[in-house]
Amino acid sequence: MSSNDLFDNDHHLDDDETNVNATTITTYTQKYHTSSLCKSLNHLHIDILSEFSHHDPTIARINNGSFGSCPASVIEAQKRYQLRFLKQPDDFYFNHFTQSILRSREAVKTLVNAKHVDEISIVDNVTTSAAIVLQHVMWSFFDSKFKPGDTAVMLHYAYPAFKKSVEAYFTRAGGKVIEVKMSYPVSSNDEIVTAFKNALELGKSNNRKVRLAVIDHITSMPSVVIPVKELVKMCRSEKVDCIFVDAANALGSVEVDVQDIGADFYTSNLHKWLFCPPAVAFLHCKDPEASKLHHPVVSHHYGNGIANESSWIGTRDYSAQLVIPEALEFVDRFEGGIDGLAKWNHEKVVEMAEMLVKAWGTKLGTPVDMCSSTAMVGLPACLGIMNDADAMKLRSILRERFKVEVPIYVRQAKDGEVDPVMGYARISHQIYNTDDNYYRFRDAICSLVSSGFTCN
Amino acid sequence: MGEIRSHEDNNNTNNEDEDNNNNNHNHLSKKSRLLSFITQSQIKQEFAHHHTGVARINNGSFGSCPGSIIAAQKRWQLKFLQQPDDFFFNQLPAQILRSRTLIKDLINADDVSEVSIVDNATTAAAIVLQHVGWAFAEGRFNKGDAVVMLHCAFQAVKKSIEAYVTRAGGSVIVVHLPFPVNSVEEIVSEFRLGLAKGKLNGRKVRLAIIDHITSMPSVVIPVRELVKICREEGVNQVFVDAAHAVGSISVDVKDIGADFYVSNLHKWFFCPPSVAVLYCRKSSLSSDLHHPVVSHEYGNGLAIESAWIGTRDYSSQLLVPEVIDFVNRFEGGIHGIMQRNHDAVIEMAKMLAKSWGTILGSPPEMCPSMAMIGLPSCLGVLSDDDASNLRNHLRDQFRVEVPIHYQPLKDAEIGPRDEGCGFITGYARISHQVYNTIDDYIKFRDAVNQLVQDGFNCKMLVSRG
Repeated sequence: MSSNDLFDNDHHLDDDETNVNATTITTYTQKYHTSSLCKSLNHLHIDILSEFSHHDPTIARINNGSFGSCPASVIEAQKRYQLRFLKQPDDFYFNHFTQSILRSREAVKTLVNAKHVDEISIVDNVTTSAAIVLQHVMWSFFDSKFKPGDTAVMLHYAYPAFKKSVEAYFTRAGGKVIEVKMSYPVSSNDEIVTAFKNALELGKSNNRKVRLAVIDHITSMPSVVIPVKELVKMCRSEKVDCIFVDAANALGSVEVDVQDIGADFYTSNLHKWLFCPPAVAFLHCKDPEASKLHHPVVSHHYGNGIANESSWIGTRDYSAQLVIPEALEFVDRFEGGIDGLAKWNHEKVVEMAEMLVKAWGTKLGTPVDMCSSTAMVGLPACLGIMNDADAMKLRSILRERFKVEVPIYVRQAKDGEVDPVMGYARISHQIYNTDDNYYRFRDAICSLVSSGFTCN
Repeated sequence: MGEIRSHEDNNNTNNEDEDNNNNNHNHLSKKSRLLSFITQSQIKQEFAHHHTGVARINNGSFGSCPGSIIAAQKRWQLKFLQQPDDFFFNQLPAQILRSRTLIKDLINADDVSEVSIVDNATTAAAIVLQHVGWAFAEGRFNKGDAVVMLHCAFQAVKKSIEAYVTRAGGSVIVVHLPFPVNSVEEIVSEFRLGLAKGKLNGRKVRLAIIDHITSMPSVVIPVRELVKICREEGVNQVFVDAAHAVGSISVDVKDIGADFYVSNLHKWFFCPPSVAVLYCRKSSLSSDLHHPVVSHEYGNGLAIESAWIGTRDYSSQLLVPEVIDFVNRFEGGIHGIMQRNHDAVIEMAKMLAKSWGTILGSPPEMCPSMAMIGLPSCLGVLSDDDASNLRNHLRDQFRVEVPIHYQPLKDAEIGPRDEGCGFITGYARISHQVYNTIDDYIKFRDAVNQLVQDGFNCKMLVSRG
């Protein structure tokens, strides 16, 4: 992809086909690269600026990974559903709701290559999926299928809320958690595979059974693409009872084929990278009948299968769950659809990440093939980021003073490291981002460095 | 005599504002006196999004939300979409706390730590019952210890009891309350009898779940008395399912004295779908309740846990201040609304009962903003299927939205009769909310009379698949 044909604001082209109608928002001019994706944007007149015009224009929003984003056309579709319920809720509930949820489930089934729509449940978010699966594991302890001291293996870098759920259901019921110790930065998949293997061995030691494996498809902080298929295979050969993939960030940023991955349970959010409104996720069960999962919020569908149970958990606004087809329609307007978009985001985030580490004299946290639509970029050591409090402090300063929204991660230094890079920023790239967002971040850090700023 | 509004009634009074004098919190006292109350046409405008042409006399099922609250909700939704990180870190926690503080005053709780906001009563039931499930699993309760529920408990609550109590080894005592019912005393004595009977084999009763207003059939239950009886009978904890209460009857959780009390706010308190308040008495807080969807705040107390259960749209939980402003546009605020709804629904119920030759299912003082009206026996509502088929038929053919309840006779020879001397086994639950007009009930009245005239019987209807 070349950076030759750059258009800045002063060159409004008369040709409607190529004019992307850029407007000045910051002091930087906006530049669009002429990739095939962008050409298709122009061709289809997808006005990215207006689809995301509700985003705060003063912010360099390079944190799609936390809360996701939703285009105006999908929000409009959602509003139509909300209105239909408000207009005549009984009629909507009795005559339209069930098939609308089914429509969403069918769309997800196709997207993730599930065998049957029964395998797909729609829930609020991955946090809810975790509660569903882990509560089920808890019952296995209560029913004495699992014994006190049986183990679970999960990554040290698993999402903190997920770890709490494991504590609330697995540990509390008598299980013991073994964390997979991975060093960071990571240099290869082999490191991860080896670390995981060691954890499984530890989990089996002293005649214990590994009952549960929680495997991230893409860890959150630090963000690393995990060789999930290989790890699932390993767990299968060790006869782990319950193999659960937390793929919160996966759908819309990496390829998702649940049959190929082969886990017992696989869950991903759709509001992060697949343009759904907040919030909606799917939970895939390899064998829904055998698993006998239940939604913890019990309603009148109890006993009819997790998909049905999840479809109604009391009166609520389910509209975010009903616009999955509309979000997919939005994605399909891009050349290459979901895959084309993921590829574009990946290429752009890598390009921007390499620009940043070059400007700062630091390094990426992983090789580029272990990045998705997010990348971890090392921050200059002189900023003195030592702990989580420092990271939050820096994040707030970046937000308030420099109008850059980006999460900061702090790693543990290894023994014998000289001048270690401890702090990393997790940059995201989604379709609404422009290069200026990252230039602003680059300049903010440079400014902090040259002013002698340290977190302490 | 209630104030039944018709479309033509333009109630543009200039009465002195009668402040909602049961609420002392700062928000209300800062408001200047209103010069005039909301007019009938303004009310119509606020609910203009409702389907015209449908007689919507079922506010009790899904509630309703005025246009100005929906607009306020959209503003909150936009704030999140604009800059979600800033909203999450800097705005959401304070706004949730603001809602909780206002609700605390509304229900007369002592301390804001006792007030959690959750999606709905269904979620609250899961929270309380999961806690019971853990008690069985961790040996604090013994296998066979009992939970008490009413026979007419809401279906989702019954299933929750099955999922968390029965599955964990607990037993269930079911107390039947009479319906139709003639007095509060009947409820009290039936409950006392049922509870005593259930305890006969010496079972320990760990939790009683009592409705404040039963759903179907809908009756106001004397919860304060029943809570007392539970305490006398050695029941450990009492959970009041008051899904319908806030906005339809007065709620004073301290006076009621239950350990746990939940009410929806989207049914009768004009919030958008959906939001509910779960009150947990401080002394009962040591019970260590948890939200079943576990997130970062696990272990920081139920209220804090409930304030973040993953990325979602929390906007419906942030509108309590706007709703209080809305209800204060009405004469007498929320109390005026409740009184007028009650009076109106009774007047309409009597009108229907007179026209059909049937009865009310309970005396007026046991009706909230809803009433149960007997249907003519000749319609032949003889099963739950008949009831839902009739409901669909009324919706499809007559554009009347009203839920129907099948009440089997206790005894084949004894039961309430209609004017034609047939046994009444079908009841309609009519609701009255501020947007209703007399025409809604006239439409229903005429629909049923038409069915009777046509010789209609539920046997003629086919169940939907």
